[in-house]
Amino acid sequence: MKKALTIMIAMLMVCSMAFAGGSKEVDPEDLTLRMLWWGGDNRHTPTLAALDNYTATTGIKVEGEYAGWDGYYQRIVTQLAGGTAPDLIQIDQPWFSELCSRGEVFAEIDPEIVDLTTFDQGFLDGYCTYEGKVMALPTGVNVNTLLVDRAMLEDAGIDPDIVWTWDNLITEGRKVHDKDPQKYLLQATPDHVKFWFEILMAQIAGGVVGPDKEILFTADQAEQAFDYIQQLYDNGVMPPYQQTSLFYQKMYEDPNWINGNYAAVWSWVSSMERDMGQRDLDTTQFPVMENAVDTGVLMRPSQLYVVSSTSDSVTETLKLLDYMVNDETAAEILGTARGIPSSSKALAVLEEANILDALTVKATNEGIAQAGAPQSTWQMNSEVIDAMQQVIDEFGYGRLTPREAAETMISSLESTLARL
Amino acid sequence: MKNKTLKKYEGYAYIGIWLLGFFTLQLAPLVTSFWYSFTDFEMIGGADFINIRNYIDIFHDPDFLLSLKVTFAYVLIAVPGKIIFALIVALILAQKLRGINLFRTLYYIPSILGGSVAISVLWRYLFMEGGVVNNLLSVIGIQGPNWLGDPKFALGTISLVTIWQFGSSMLLFLAGIKQIPTTYYEAAEIDGATKLRKFFSITLPELSPIVLFNVVMQMINAFQEFTPAYVITQGGPLRSTYLYGLMLYETGFEFFHMGYASALSWILFAIIMVFTILIFKFSELHVHYGDD
Repeated sequence: MKKALTIMIAMLMVCSMAFAGGSKEVDPEDLTLRMLWWGGDNRHTPTLAALDNYTATTGIKVEGEYAGWDGYYQRIVTQLAGGTAPDLIQIDQPWFSELCSRGEVFAEIDPEIVDLTTFDQGFLDGYCTYEGKVMALPTGVNVNTLLVDRAMLEDAGIDPDIVWTWDNLITEGRKVHDKDPQKYLLQATPDHVKFWFEILMAQIAGGVVGPDKEILFTADQAEQAFDYIQQLYDNGVMPPYQQTSLFYQKMYEDPNWINGNYAAVWSWVSSMERDMGQRDLDTTQFPVMENAVDTGVLMRPSQLYVVSSTSDSVTETLKLLDYMVNDETAAEILGTARGIPSSSKALAVLEEANILDALTVKATNEGIAQAGAPQSTWQMNSEVIDAMQQVIDEFGYGRLTPREAAETMISSLESTLARL
Repeated sequence: MKNKTLKKYEGYAYIGIWLLGFFTLQLAPLVTSFWYSFTDFEMIGGADFINIRNYIDIFHDPDFLLSLKVTFAYVLIAVPGKIIFALIVALILAQKLRGINLFRTLYYIPSILGGSVAISVLWRYLFMEGGVVNNLLSVIGIQGPNWLGDPKFALGTISLVTIWQFGSSMLLFLAGIKQIPTTYYEAAEIDGATKLRKFFSITLPELSPIVLFNVVMQMINAFQEFTPAYVITQGGPLRSTYLYGLMLYETGFEFFHMGYASALSWILFAIIMVFTILIFKFSELHVHYGDD
């Protein structure tokens, strides 16, 4: 029996050695790089084509690993923890500092290999730098947009070219519901109510949580925001909270949205196509109050490319990264699969080839014109978001008055932030 | 001699592959998670030993108490619901009717589909406000509630998904019913027993070992339930479906507090263990085995 156990332990050791990976430079000829991203077919197909082209020109094999959004974050965290992460990884911008803070998981982007001059320095400083080192590159520019159904507005007697203000959002917006009790102006699932709360807080107080973990607003200011959201419900501008709560984080699956019972929705340009589905929609700008501290309209990289620090060849992966963001052929193949490219070189190629989608360009320009300051990493922290969402849920279900919601929001954020 | 040694270890070779899987995929994670439950492990980066702090924190965590309450409510609805439903259907399907095998197969289908994501999505559309169920109810003049959007109804509606997957319990009951000697019923008939009397005095006592088995298995599953609450309601509305499994997932795989989540799992393990022992103790009085 003892002998059998010894054999077993030896077998286990052999196995664990076989699985253990380390950072080592491999001969390019034997090298197979792995790249991981999430998306739909409109991203998978061009990305795979671009990778094929890279293999054809350089001889370096690249395996594309692609998935949907669900479980993607869990997947990369597990792979990073286990040392099995792909060489080149697409991540979402809010994860960047959280992942960097957990140790040396990403390699520094070497400006000798990747041309960084094609990127806006502010974008690199604001979103891609951790402790003074550039550790990521933006894939494209992403901004908030307000999708609107012009035909529905016209039907309700609203000028489709209306410039939205916080006042006319109520006075005009209610016309949609007044005309047809099934219909509402603004689709707002619980997560969207949170987005609107954040926009209001940015305009009233400059944000929710600041870079030093401080709460940026007073109870009176939050009450003002909740009061306003209450008016949106009372006037039938937004559908009742209970009606949309089932589609939390899945706004686009709501049959009421798909079938055109709601006329407008907050969105990101990068997910605009998914949110629109089969509907024919236009984009417009957000209401901004006079004397607003900030606009609350967000602009950030669509996604980031990072290089795993455990890559078999960081050098070769950086070359691949440079190809993905700066190469002219790659730019043409990739098109706007990751939004409007941030690299000026890639953007020039698309402009020249005239393959930019008009609505995407319009929405991006509208967003950039309105863009405010980025949210702090604390405000984007998953536990902070969860805490905010819980208070908004209780408010949405009528368990809290605007005043109570404001006070609970502060106490709940305080205890969450203290824990982090 | 050589041959003898070989023979001695031949058996290990046969079970070697299974053992390898057991050690690497089951025992190793089990032991590791026990160790992690005493650390502040967060997936990436090291794990520092923090003694029983996770366990102390958990008992002061309002989310823990809330999810425990929701889970107990769920177990109390879903387990008896499923077993009673399975038993009723098994009694019907035990009749000698034409084409009965077809019905037996049909009733088992929901269990094959299982608690998959697709089914959960389907249930969302069935029970949403203005969904199929409420439309059907409105035909007979009933204004259905917002099944999944109202905190009062959501947990019950989620439990229905579980109850609906009664197939495997039903099959066990069916097999058990077939085992009961018909002579018992014939004797009862002669004594003039009613159908109800026959059920409570013959069928149920004879089936009691199967009831026990089903209760234990279903309870273990129900305590660990995750998919419907995650896919259909995400724990809402107002955390009315915030099951323990959901809290575990959120802590471990959304916030990556793996140490804390490991401690949560071991507490769940202890809870399930205690209830299983209690049920077995209780069963000594009420379960009749054929050879007693």
